[in-house]
Amino acid sequence: MHELRATIAIVRRHIDRRFALDFAMQFALVGAIGYIFAHVFAAPPIPILICGTLAAASAAEREHAASLRRVSFFAMPLFGRQLARAHAIAPVLSALSIPLGYATGCALRGAPLAPPAFGILVLTAIVGALVSLSSVFRDGVRAALYVGLAIAAAASLAIVAVVFPGHAFAADAALAAIEGFFALRAFGETLARYDPLPAAIG
Amino acid sequence: MVLRALAASFVRDGVEIVVPFDLALGPGETATLAQPTPFAASIAARICAAIVKPTTGIVYVGDYESRLQPPQAKRLVGFVDAAGFDGDDHAFHCETAFRADVWGLEARVAHARASAVLAALGSGDERHARYARAVALALVADVAALVLDQPTRRIVESVRAFAPVPAIVRTRVGVAAPPAPLVAREPAAT
Repeated sequence: MHELRATIAIVRRHIDRRFALDFAMQFALVGAIGYIFAHVFAAPPIPILICGTLAAASAAEREHAASLRRVSFFAMPLFGRQLARAHAIAPVLSALSIPLGYATGCALRGAPLAPPAFGILVLTAIVGALVSLSSVFRDGVRAALYVGLAIAAAASLAIVAVVFPGHAFAADAALAAIEGFFALRAFGETLARYDPLPAAIG
Repeated sequence: MVLRALAASFVRDGVEIVVPFDLALGPGETATLAQPTPFAASIAARICAAIVKPTTGIVYVGDYESRLQPPQAKRLVGFVDAAGFDGDDHAFHCETAFRADVWGLEARVAHARASAVLAALGSGDERHARYARAVALALVADVAALVLDQPTRRIVESVRAFAPVPAIVRTRVGVAAPPAPLVAREPAAT
């Protein structure tokens, strides 16, 4: 019960005005992409790659990273895995603006996505955000590698959707569950190992 | 013992940033920990607060080893960063509520506690105000030890006047004669 209260407190701390603004901007941007390219990107792999890439970039954004690195979070009496779960919820919610925006854009253009296709985009955004989260506590090349890994995870979902066209959603759901689970575990490990050092001032 | 450190140090990229230090702090006692740079002093404070893991040595907060049982250790320590808390009144209010939720406290009690600490620390310049807010946030929970990263003398004296006074570790920038830095212990306040 206490753990749930702490989780909700951390999520509430992340969901502020800036979060709402980012959500709205992402929704509008991807909505515009969906509206403009609804007929061009009719084949499943391209929207999946777009959603995965944008979700990865959204979760790895540097200002967001700085807010997660605040020392006060690390002074909290929580295990790394508890902090990881709490930290992951807001970026995943934010990433959901991407498939929602894309689906809205396509619908406005008169080419609505089929429910399984929309479901795959949602799964891709979640996996992209979860894998990319581990970049938040890294800098430089190592951070970029995790963003690359998130895009690769999205690409794997796109490939599965192409290879199993009749059962694309079920196959992607299974793969996304595995990738998401390991991504969250890796994020927990990253948090447990991370040392929140002060800015080098001396 | 409230807080015990044995040969705790911090090394990064082969450079010894925090020189090894020993510390043994009982209830109500105050210790000063000197490190050669502000960066090193801040890391030493984080090591004492179980936020950063020491590269060598061991730190106990109460009966809990900071590397193996960090949540249990952190539950007993309040940490105040050298920069203090730079948010406005609204942000301070939100942070107090946030800490009350994380520590499982009643929000009303947490706000009353934070306000009482702020009032006791008095007003002052911008730096004092930021630091006082951070101390008030650190003392929202009922902690056994308070780690103050590079505080002013006035802050330390004000905190030592609280009842019950927590054990206090304060860091400062100073010449730390190797291999052990300067550690000055003061008796418990009465």
